[in-house]
Order: sequence, then structure tokens, then C-alpha cells
Amino acid sequence: MKTVFTLLVSLVLTGTMLAGGPEFQKAMGSALKQMSAANSIDDMKNAANQFERISKVETDQWLPLYYHAHCYIIMSFMEREDKDLKDEFLDVAETSVNKLLEMQPENAEVHTIHGFMYSARLVVNPAVRGMKYGMLSGQAIGKALKLDPANPRAQYMNIQNEMGQAQFFGKDIAPYCAQAKAAWEHFDEYPIVSPIDPSWGKKELKDLSESCK
Amino acid sequence: MEWGRFTSNSKTVKQLLTLLAVLFAAPICAQSVITGRVIDKQNQPLPGANIYFEGTYEGTSSDQQGNFKLVTDLEGTYELVVDFMGFETHRTSLEMPQKEVVLEIVLKEKFNELKAATIAAGAFEASDTKKAVVLRPLDIVTTAGASGDISGALQTLPGTSTVGESGKLFVRGGSSEETATFIDGLLVYKPYTSSAPNTQVRGRFNPFMFSGTVFTTGGYSAEYGQALSSALLLNTNDLPAQSELNLSIMSVGGDIAGTAKWESGAVTANVGYTNLAPYLALVPQNYEFEKPIAAVSGAVSIRQKVGKSGMVKGYSTYSRSNFILSQSNSEYDNGILRVDLSNENNYTNLTYKSAIGEKWVLSFGGAYTLDGDRVELNDAHYSENLEGAHVKASAIRQMGERVKLRMGTEWYRKNYGQAFSNEQIDAKNDFQEQREAAWLESDIHVTNKIVARVGVRGERSELLNSFNVAPRVSTAYKVNEYAQVSAAYGWFYQNPLDEYLIYEDNLQFERADHYILSAQYNKNDRMFRLETYYKDYSNLVKFAPDVPAYANSYNNSGTGFAYGVDVFWRDKKTIKYGDYWVSYSFIDTERDYRDYPGEAVPTFVSKHNVSVVYKHWFNRLRSQLGVTYMYGSPRRYNDLNQPGFNEGRTKSYNSLNMNWSFLYRQNVIFFASVSNVLGFKNVFGYTFSSTPGTDGVYDQKAIVPMADRFFFIGCFITLSRNKEINQLDKIND
Repeated sequence: MKTVFTLLVSLVLTGTMLAGGPEFQKAMGSALKQMSAANSIDDMKNAANQFERISKVETDQWLPLYYHAHCYIIMSFMEREDKDLKDEFLDVAETSVNKLLEMQPENAEVHTIHGFMYSARLVVNPAVRGMKYGMLSGQAIGKALKLDPANPRAQYMNIQNEMGQAQFFGKDIAPYCAQAKAAWEHFDEYPIVSPIDPSWGKKELKDLSESCK
Repeated sequence: MEWGRFTSNSKTVKQLLTLLAVLFAAPICAQSVITGRVIDKQNQPLPGANIYFEGTYEGTSSDQQGNFKLVTDLEGTYELVVDFMGFETHRTSLEMPQKEVVLEIVLKEKFNELKAATIAAGAFEASDTKKAVVLRPLDIVTTAGASGDISGALQTLPGTSTVGESGKLFVRGGSSEETATFIDGLLVYKPYTSSAPNTQVRGRFNPFMFSGTVFTTGGYSAEYGQALSSALLLNTNDLPAQSELNLSIMSVGGDIAGTAKWESGAVTANVGYTNLAPYLALVPQNYEFEKPIAAVSGAVSIRQKVGKSGMVKGYSTYSRSNFILSQSNSEYDNGILRVDLSNENNYTNLTYKSAIGEKWVLSFGGAYTLDGDRVELNDAHYSENLEGAHVKASAIRQMGERVKLRMGTEWYRKNYGQAFSNEQIDAKNDFQEQREAAWLESDIHVTNKIVARVGVRGERSELLNSFNVAPRVSTAYKVNEYAQVSAAYGWFYQNPLDEYLIYEDNLQFERADHYILSAQYNKNDRMFRLETYYKDYSNLVKFAPDVPAYANSYNNSGTGFAYGVDVFWRDKKTIKYGDYWVSYSFIDTERDYRDYPGEAVPTFVSKHNVSVVYKHWFNRLRSQLGVTYMYGSPRRYNDLNQPGFNEGRTKSYNSLNMNWSFLYRQNVIFFASVSNVLGFKNVFGYTFSSTPGTDGVYDQKAIVPMADRFFFIGCFITLSRNKEINQLDKIND
């Protein structure tokens, strides 16, 4: 009996540590694998479908919704031609982001993906949407950085926004490359509690730091 | 204690043990294999559908052919759910294990108001949020030649005539009084500034205030009455994005606006001062200002969210303006008419809107207008006072997702008076009017492809002691994803003009019946629209002799007609960073009203109107260039030296306008514009002396614009904590 209890306790503890339990971890792991391997809209949609399935079971978990939104944002970038379709993808992403904002109003990652979604809206038609969505993205990222100044994804989005502005106004972008480089160098210092926590951004920061060359 | 708590809860233990068993026991149960295909009603495959067992992680996605295969170890009864973006969720109950299940899943397209047919006949919409609209709100500001004026910009749309000496909206053969302006559903009694005879007016409202504008050229909703031709619906912004300070420094004055925003509300206040004196000192005019136009204005607007979905909006503006203008006029002894005009105007508007539960949206609102003109005309005094109120309550009831019911009731009050005095005469005339109205209207989406709007409006006027019932019907059929045909029919009533009612109230409502057919094609940032209409006017006021006056005889025997074709083409796609639209309107109209001896073409109508608007964004220069060309074919005027009535023809109207906006910094914009760059000598008509000279010829004088060109420069600065924002977000989308 005692061994069972030990086992149970350790299971419960790991379960709490890895929120959602091992099944959840496993399913998320598999969906994340599919997401990182995806190189077409269809693949990405399949990954998004997996996250959606998980989110419907684990209604108190924010990560499935987070990745669901992330997949759809990436899909909007993958779609090259159809602007309406891009917006339809972003409508789906926005639905998940809105749920996230209600569920985790103080979560820097959530505000970062919120800003990311606005940036994607901007990309659909920069000439027309530049100002409005640039501002909305800036506001969301500002909130994220206020909550968690060290968050490398919020930093990445912030540097990218500011660099875009500087480029538009014909200013020197070198300082932003330097900022990106510094953020890239410190990227690994940011603690990741669980393997399914958001961890993207390192490659993006690297690419950004090299855009001055 | 801790352990004890665990052991005492044997149920938890059991559950955990079951969980363990599930986790670690190698399942030796039968697998079920579910295969199938997901298609739509047209038998087209739906790739990427999400197929899963409810309450589990188990699921898959359909492939390019819509096929899927799902292998599961689940046992028991489960709901197989199929989800696809834009389609209704499909559910099947499956009992497992089963060896092989083959399913054909036909998904039904979800009803989507954005993709369904829309009521479009006779309506031009400018909106940020909706997709397939004609204009974005900021198109209004960036249209060259519009000078940031709403009605100026709308004059580049088909169905309008450019009437240069007025500046107001003339829609489909209707006079400017036949267009009513509403802010958040409430009537604006005086939408335009006051001006001297034959000089251009401007709208009173800053286009930046509005995020949604619907300009109807006919066939509009039963919610709106008292407009024979057109309703212009201006909807104010919701909450601003942030606290900020806006400074505008212009060649004609300055404006400062401050916004304070909090989580659930905001307040904006602005003061502006306009003075044309410095400008007129530099640029010679066709008319001589003794005292150029000077105006002060101020406005406060408040927004406050109430509860989860409620919103209170309040807006109040006050302005006063003055000018003294001398126009040569042979009617007066010294050959000069000196007009010294002062205007004072207040408009206040308060609305509350809230959703009640899932199905009801309620709105309440009230608006109040107080306007006074004081005019010194040579030795005579003239004054005009208007006090108007409008109170309205309306409700929208959603009945299922395909039927929307709208209803409401409203109350109008108007006190209007004129006074005229000179050495011989001292006359005062006024009237009080009160109207009650109610309407009921329903939008029915018969299918995704067919929508019908059926409505009726009833209105009673105390002054006319008369009641009218106005049915309105509008319908649309969506041919395919990009094309739609629409039709509308309705009766529209309006009170006789104030200038008649002060003398005679034994009159009836004037009436116009609209018949509209319309086709629209909208694909990939290109839009084509073709609309044809017929308007039948009846009960128009006629009077004799020639000007509205006290002892005249008035009756409602006037009639008229108008028919025409409006064409609109907009293309944002073909030219990178370029955007253009072309409008063409053809109209044939005649009416027998006022003092007309019979049916004649009114003087405000041009048979052909063309507008070409082009905007180009230069990325490297961070600048937008706007060019607008407008053409109006010759207008009629009543040539007293020729036989017939309204048989004189002016030359055609031409104007090429340009503007340029430059984003200097994130928060600083420079703007410049020139109207009529090529300096066309436009003539809007002629006035004649009331008596012929000794040679029997009436003296004629051309009505010309105040100046052939108008130059404008301005600088707009936004100060906020977030330095990224400037007023260009107001210029670009």
C-alpha cells in the first residue's frame, strides 16, 4: 500500500508540476512536433486541429489555445495571395487570443501573441493598415513587456516593431540589430519550466540581428 | 495527517488506481477503424476538417481529397465531431469497438452575415470593420478636392451632382433639402455652415469623428424619414485608442484637441479658430470680403462603457462665425449687396446603446439643435432661428440567426422663425412643428444567397395635421461569391420646406417613390457597381407668384420624375501603392414645382457627372498624392432674355484637384492641397435683374466660385506617450 501511495504522490506531484498530467504533456508534445515540422498550410492546419482538440478537453489550460492561435497566425503568413483568406485565418487566431486574454489577463506570453496577431493583420496590407495595427501591436507588446520585461518573445516583437518604424522613417536600424543580438545572446537565460511552454524566438532574434548586414 | 486525509478518501484512491490502470496496462482491446470523407453540399472535398471524439484527444484531419482515417482503442459510445471553419459542426454517435466504419460527412455552410447577401441597393458604405465596403472612413479625408469635408468627398460618388455654388449634397435629381443627415441615428437639423447666397458651405462635422458612414442614394431603411432623396448616416467612433493631444496648424486657422482615456471611457475636447483674412490677403478672390470668414468652435465628446455591453456617448458642439461680403447686384441702388452674416450654432447629442441578453439590442437617444443667423443686408435686417429636438428609442431583436427585427419610435420638435425688417417692412413669421413616428422593419435571410428587408414607417405631423404610411422593401440575391444583384422600392415623405411653412401650413407631405435596380461585383480589391433608378415625385409644393412670400398661394399639385444610371468602379489592386475610383452618373429629370410654369429641368442638375479619384502612396517619400478630376455637363438656368423656362445652359464644369500628405515623423504630418489646379473658369448659373433695361434686355451676371483656386497647407501634430502615433492613422485606414 505504501509503495502505491509513494507512486501516487509522485505522480500527483509530477502532474502538478507538468500541468495537465502526462497525457496532456504527451498530446501537446506530439502536436508541437507536428507544428514544428509543418511546412504547408495544410500541415499547419492539422497541427492547429490537434491543439484545438486538446483545448476542448483541457478547458483550463491556456497553452493549447496559445499554439492554436500561433498556428493560424503562421498560416496567414504562409498564404501568399488571398488577402481575405489571410484575414479569415487571423479571425480564427483572434477568437483564440480573445479567450486567452480572458483566461490569462496577466500573462506576458498571451499579450505577446496578441501583438503578434495584430502584426500579422498589418502584414496583410501594410500601406493601409500600417498605422492602426502598428499601434495596436505596440500597445499589446508594451503590456507584455510591462508584465515580464525579460520575456525574449516580447522583446523580439518589440525590437521588430521599432525596427520597422525606423526603417519606414529612413533611420539607422543598427541599434535595433544590436538589441536583437543582445536579446539573442541572453535567450537561453530565460527559464522554461515545462517543455511545452512557449520557447520560440531564438532563430527569429538571430535573423533580426542579422538584418543590418 | 496528510496521509490520513488521503486514505480516508477511498474514492479518490479508486479513481487514481483506475487512472494508473489506464496509463500503464497495455490495452488488449479491439481497435476501431473509422474512415470517411468530408464534403460540402456541392460534393466538394473539405480538406483540413478537424475530426475527433468529443472529450478525448483522439482525432485527425481530413486530407486534400477530404478523406480521413481514424484508428482508436476507445470503447463505449462516443460522439464523433467534425469541425470546419465556416461550416456547421457535425456530430455522429458511434458505439465502439466496431471493425470498420465508413462515413460520408456532408457539412452545411454556416450562416455568415458577412458572406451572405446584403442589402446594398442605394447604399454606399464607408466602414473600417466591414470588408466589402465602397470606402474607408479615411478615404473621405484623403480625397483631393474634398478639403476634408464629408459632403465634398461624397460628391465623388455616383448619384450626386456637383453644385459648386452650394457645396451641399444633391442626390439623384433631388434638391439639397431632400437629404437628411443623422449622427448616431439622430437628426442634425443644420448639417452645413451658413453662407452668403451662392457661396459654398461646408459640413459642420469633422470627418475624423466618424468610423462608419452610410450614404444612401435612395431606397433606405424605414428607420429614417423626412428625406425625399437621401439619408446620410454618420456613426461616431467608439473608444479612442489612447490619451493624446492633437495640434493642427493650418493656413486658415488652428485647432487643438485633447483626449483623456481611461479603461472604460474617454473624453475629448477641442477648440478651433478659423480666420480666412491672412489667406485672402495673399490670394485674390472673385468676391470681395469686407471682413473675411472668422469662426470659433468648440466641442466635447464623452464615451463611457456601462456594464458589459452598454455604451453612453455624448457630444456637444458650439460654434460662432461671422463675415461681411460685398457682391455686385443690380437689384440694389448702389449696385452692391453687402451681406454681414453672423451664425451661432449648438448641436448636442446623447445616446445609450446596450445589448439585453443575447437577443435584444436597445438604443435611446436625444439630440438638440439651436441655430441662429443674423444678417444685415444693406439697410435691412434679417434673422433666422431654428430650435430642433429629436428623441428616439429603438430596438433590434435577433430571431434566430437569419431574421432580424428592428423597431422604434421617435418624436420631433421644431421651432422655426424668420424676421425681416427695413425702412418699410417689419415682418415676423414662424411656425412650430411636432411629429411622431414609428417604424418596424425586418431583415430576412431566406438563404445565404437571398435577403429581403421589409419595413413600414408611419409618421404624423401636428402642423400639417396629417399622417403618412411609408412602405419600404429591399432585396438582394447573391449570384456567387463576388457578385450580387439588388432591388429596392419605397415611399418617402417630407414636410414642405421651412420657407413655405412659415407662410402656409395648409399643406401636405411631399412624396417621392423610389425604384432601384443594382448589380455589384466585388473581387480582390476591385469593385464594380451599376445602379439604375426611377423616382416619381408627387405632392410637391407649388406657389405663385415667383418667390415664397406671405400673400402667395400655395398648393401640393407639383410633380416630377428622375431616372438615371450610376456607375462606380474602384480598383486598389492593379497599381501597386495606387488606388483609384471612377464614378459616372447619368440623369434625366424634370419637375413642376415652386413657381415653375410647367415641367422643367431644375437648375441644380447636370445630365452627366464624372469623378475620377486617384491616390498614390510613395513609400520612399512617405507621402501620399491625391488627384481628383470632376466633370459636370452644362446646367440649366432661367434665361430671362430667351423664351421658355430654364432653357439657358451654362458651360460644363471642370475641376482638377490635388493634395499631398507627407509623414515627416511618426507624429508630424504635413498636408497641402490645391483645388482647380488648371484654373477652369467655372460658371454655375446666372442671375438676372428683376426688370429689363431700357433696351428691353435683363442684366445678367454669372454665378462664379469665390476663387478659381483654393490653396491649403497644414501641419498636424500628435503628442502622446506612445510616440508611434500620429494623425496619419486617421488618414490611412
